[in-house]
Amino acid sequence: MIHDSLIRERLVTGGKTATDVTRDISRPILNKPSTSWKVGFTLSLVFLGIFVASLFWTLWTGIGVWNINKSVMWGWDITNFVWWVGIGHAGTLISAILLLFRQKWRMSINRSAEAMTIFAVICAAMFPVFHMGRVWVGYWALPLPNAFGSLWVNFNSPLLWDVFAISTYFSVSLLFWYIGLIPDIATIRDKVKGKYEKFFYRFFSMGWTGSTRTWARYELVSLILAGLSTPLVLSVHTIVSTDFATSVVPGWHTTIFPPYFVAGAIFSGFGMVATLLIVARKVMNYENYITIGHLDAMTKIIMLTGSLVGIAYLTELFIAWYSGVQYEQYAFMNRATGPYWWAYWSMMSCNVIAPQVFWFKWARTTPWFIFMMSIVVNVGMWFERFVIIVTSLHRDYLPSSWVMYSGSLTEVGLFLGTFGIFFTCFFLFAKFLPVINMSEVKTILRNRE
Amino acid sequence: MGLIDKNLSLRNRRKLILGIFDDEDKLMDASSALVHEGVHIQDVYTPYPVHGLDRIIGVKRSNLSVVAFLCGLTGFSLACLMIWYMYVYDWPMNIGNKPERFTPSWIPIMFESTVLCTAYGMGFFFFIRNRLLHGIQPELLHDRQTDDTMVICIETGDGVNESKIVDIMRSKGATEVRERNGGVQTTI
Repeated sequence: MIHDSLIRERLVTGGKTATDVTRDISRPILNKPSTSWKVGFTLSLVFLGIFVASLFWTLWTGIGVWNINKSVMWGWDITNFVWWVGIGHAGTLISAILLLFRQKWRMSINRSAEAMTIFAVICAAMFPVFHMGRVWVGYWALPLPNAFGSLWVNFNSPLLWDVFAISTYFSVSLLFWYIGLIPDIATIRDKVKGKYEKFFYRFFSMGWTGSTRTWARYELVSLILAGLSTPLVLSVHTIVSTDFATSVVPGWHTTIFPPYFVAGAIFSGFGMVATLLIVARKVMNYENYITIGHLDAMTKIIMLTGSLVGIAYLTELFIAWYSGVQYEQYAFMNRATGPYWWAYWSMMSCNVIAPQVFWFKWARTTPWFIFMMSIVVNVGMWFERFVIIVTSLHRDYLPSSWVMYSGSLTEVGLFLGTFGIFFTCFFLFAKFLPVINMSEVKTILRNRE
Repeated sequence: MGLIDKNLSLRNRRKLILGIFDDEDKLMDASSALVHEGVHIQDVYTPYPVHGLDRIIGVKRSNLSVVAFLCGLTGFSLACLMIWYMYVYDWPMNIGNKPERFTPSWIPIMFESTVLCTAYGMGFFFFIRNRLLHGIQPELLHDRQTDDTMVICIETGDGVNESKIVDIMRSKGATEVRERNGGVQTTI
């Protein structure tokens, strides 16, 4: 028996109808860009310029312009890679795992989170690709015939698994996102007036009419894609973690890495989703669609995954002590009290201590505060990757090779520049595609049970 | 059975009766009543998925899950073949004296390949089956059917009692009932 729920809070507030949903969500697409959009887009282009300049300098001179050295061979680049990949996890988590768990609150936020996933994976891919140095032979990472001058690729290497995992993740996320977009692109197609706009939206809507036969298959495909994406999303960061865990470097050689990295990825991904959506709901007037209830749910996940990450940090410390291996013990002692103590304690306070504030309802329901906390989470997770990579490498088995490392201006420029890529893509997405999944949101307007 | 679902095309249909609705409950009621009276509903167009409607109008469960499984099996087999050929047959490599036959370290790539082929194979057949192709002209019956309006579409012909269909649609709350003949719609 289907009836209107008396106890559940409404997922969409303001008494919206299907007509209102179409009007509200398609407004930014049908109207001229707002001043805030123009300002934001220009700023993104400035950062994109920083990326182009830094990349040009890197390619022109070689990666010697980065401060990485023969002890710390992974620095800001791989830190940024893991950070961006982690951010890319929330989108698929929201669309796939929450779909399987039938969490309807995901419907207002899944579209932008999936877009974020795709843009974040693009940003992430930049770093290992350009870290190769000779990027023009980057295709050697693919399983191609050895006539190219190298042997076949090494299937025992987690770096090759990464090539497969990241490219599969990007491709499947893109497909999932696009299939979800088709009905909404069709809605926009039937609203736009201009010749070029009509052509663009008609091209990408693929002749969608909303037939019940198509909807039935569409829902089945979405469900199967969700079922596929769930292990996929878990596999991607598991594989990224094996880049470290299969090595013999103290501080990396840890079996806890896969679940710890996955929890961290979801944590940072939700941090970035919160950062973006709190701004978007205000600027685009979507407060009735992305409600305080949504923020409340997201902060609970941030708190949970933050606590999981905290347990992982403590487990690492315990196991280092319990293993009785002096190199492991030193690696962790050095993290907490060595020359990079500030990075370790920034990580601890941002990721473990700060999210505990979400036990309080006020903290979970106050947008400006959640926004500040989401920045803290993003900063903390960047430090986590920096700590894992740099503190483990800068002092390993051979004290004569001990060095210090700090990012060069070019490395900082590349990192800031990826924000340019990310936000340029995001602003274009917000202008030309519906930020909220209209067809799904229309199914939850009545709060049925 | 062809790959493309021919039921989706409205071209070459003789005469269609269209019931326009603005409420999904009324739409469900009308669809049930029509099917109960033995009327064959050609299709129902909705701006969002209305759960249960496919069963009412007699849409069979899709075989896309079987297709997905077969695509996954293909992806898995391709990965096995690729790794075996490159790593065992063509140029065996001894790295750290690890075994060169199957090892668990092959699993990640087998898994990723399975997922990739399943997703894209299923996606491809989903597009083909549903007649979804870049740039084709959509066959719309109402200019708001992707916005807030729902349309029940019934093909009439010999032995179909048109006035009964119209009466049921009206009594169940259709905002408008139209007739489409040779591509031209008129309100009844």
